[in-house]
Amino acid sequence: MSSRYLVELDHVHKAFCTRHFLQRDEDTGKRVFYKKRTVHAARDVAFGIQPGEIFGLLGPNGAGKTTTVKMISGLVRPDRGVVYVDELSVEKKRLEILKRVGVVLEGTRTSIWPLTPLENLVYYGNLKNVTGRTLKERAKQLLEFIGLKDKMNIQVRRLSRGEKQKLAICIALIADPPVILLDEPTTGLDVQSSRNIKDKIIEMTREQGKCVLVTTHDMHVAQEICDRIGIIDKGRLIACKPTEHLLELFSDLVFEIRLDRLPPHAELSGIPGVRNVEFLTEEGVPTLVVWVEDDAAKLSEALYATIERLRQGRYLLRGVTQRQQTLENVFLRLTNTAPTADSAPREGESAETKQE
Amino acid sequence: MGFFLVMKAEMVRTFIIMRRYWFRTITGMIIGYAILLMFVLGVMANRQVVEQSIQDMTRGQDATNWALGFIIGMFAFGIIGMFTQGLQELAQSGQLEQLCMSPHGLVTNFMARTVVTSISNILTSALMIWLISRSVKGTLHADFVPTVTLLALTYSNLIGFGFMFGGLVLVFKQTGQIAMVVRLGIFGVPVLASERVEQLPILLRIGAHAVPVTDAAICIKYVLIQGQMAVNDAGEEVFRSVFTHPSFYYLLVNCVFWTIVGVACFRLMEDWSRSKGTLGAY
Repeated sequence: MSSRYLVELDHVHKAFCTRHFLQRDEDTGKRVFYKKRTVHAARDVAFGIQPGEIFGLLGPNGAGKTTTVKMISGLVRPDRGVVYVDELSVEKKRLEILKRVGVVLEGTRTSIWPLTPLENLVYYGNLKNVTGRTLKERAKQLLEFIGLKDKMNIQVRRLSRGEKQKLAICIALIADPPVILLDEPTTGLDVQSSRNIKDKIIEMTREQGKCVLVTTHDMHVAQEICDRIGIIDKGRLIACKPTEHLLELFSDLVFEIRLDRLPPHAELSGIPGVRNVEFLTEEGVPTLVVWVEDDAAKLSEALYATIERLRQGRYLLRGVTQRQQTLENVFLRLTNTAPTADSAPREGESAETKQE
Repeated sequence: MGFFLVMKAEMVRTFIIMRRYWFRTITGMIIGYAILLMFVLGVMANRQVVEQSIQDMTRGQDATNWALGFIIGMFAFGIIGMFTQGLQELAQSGQLEQLCMSPHGLVTNFMARTVVTSISNILTSALMIWLISRSVKGTLHADFVPTVTLLALTYSNLIGFGFMFGGLVLVFKQTGQIAMVVRLGIFGVPVLASERVEQLPILLRIGAHAVPVTDAAICIKYVLIQGQMAVNDAGEEVFRSVFTHPSFYYLLVNCVFWTIVGVACFRLMEDWSRSKGTLGAY
């Protein structure tokens, strides 16, 4: 393990077995008396998070994000591999590690609703070994930091969903742990609450040097706050890069060429290095979308050849742009749920539809 | 240290909730008393229709005996319930995950939780026993040291047993109905428990002594109702301390056995639950 990481997963593997009785078999359609299924929640997952870093873990439903969070917090034991927090093995020093980790798992359910936010923080503070004046001062500081000071004496059941979520974050922070794990902290929140929570996550990471792991479905949240992003799919970590590197991953593949009119398909067929072309009319401007090979030499050859064909056809070139990638596109491409160059419509297949 | 810290937190939480929902607390106690009293009076008034074994309940003393068994049963029912239904509710509300992530450990947290709930149960039950006893003109011999000792032993006996079931609930969330049957069984035992257990066939006798509340109920009834007075060979009533009563020794053995087995079982199940990925989850 590397000492520069506060949290590190060293080739961790976790599989869950589910047993089903009298269920219809998906393959044969016949009802079977007993079937055992194995779901891989983590396959050889390895990454680390440095102090002062926000690491985003993205993935579709059931990809293994929450299991990863639970393995770091000691709620789930990995089948293979080791999880380290502050250079200590979670398996060997679980109770010691729990002092250094604050977790928000589906936050709004964490708090005790008949109590007020302040009482909740005092209760959970005691559970996390924080006592006396330190606890009360810290509780008040946290409520002020998160923006719940005005509501610290109102019962939790009267708070909004966003406020309950903020309280859950305070509960995770009450023992001042260096590691914060946030499992979908902005799910179900309105834009303002989500914005507020994002700001607070950034603030506590930058100002207090915390190490934060965020799992989310919200690509905007991830793109906005995460320093590095890991994409997990079917338990496998398929990408783990700084956010800007991840955004550059596929941006060199797609080019949009705006023209005065659209050429027939035949004119652009068989260009070496071009994987696919698509015709669009964007805001009244005929646009040619070209997918090219992911190779520097082939890329320029393909672009030169395409433009040469257009020049020969006397088309007026109104502009060439590289299509900007969003994290959502990258995510969809990596998890194979978006149309790629290979799965994009073949020449002529849906050009008319697209133009419409 | 951790245990006392969690216990303090639990006491504060329980007190705040009781105070904040004071109407519910008071009405709960009044309703509990009224139901129990009606039950006892109903049995006393209809002695022809109840079994021969409890016909002599018209005597205030025996009615108290029965009511005391009922209250011990309720106490046992409540403690086991904390580990079964209580655990399920905590898992549903998401609080169990936080308890599992407490650096004190789940066993310490649960132990402290049950101590606080049991203290509040004991206080309300003591009040109810006294009120029922006064209402039916029975008598109670509240000898402080034996009573507190017996309650403490009964409590640790029950939590050992409860921990065993709690462990099962941690792993198998669907044990709720089985746990309910066990709770009902545990509830019924103190009502029927008497020194006549010794007259049962050997296997049944072993089974009866193994159940955590049988000997506890016999001892508590012996102290509170009989005032530790036993009949000697000459047929005279003489004082014999509960600490020399055979059931007290069974209770001690039972207590050590269930505490060790229960906590060990809970730890094993907690460990298994982590491997299964069900720890804290509903």
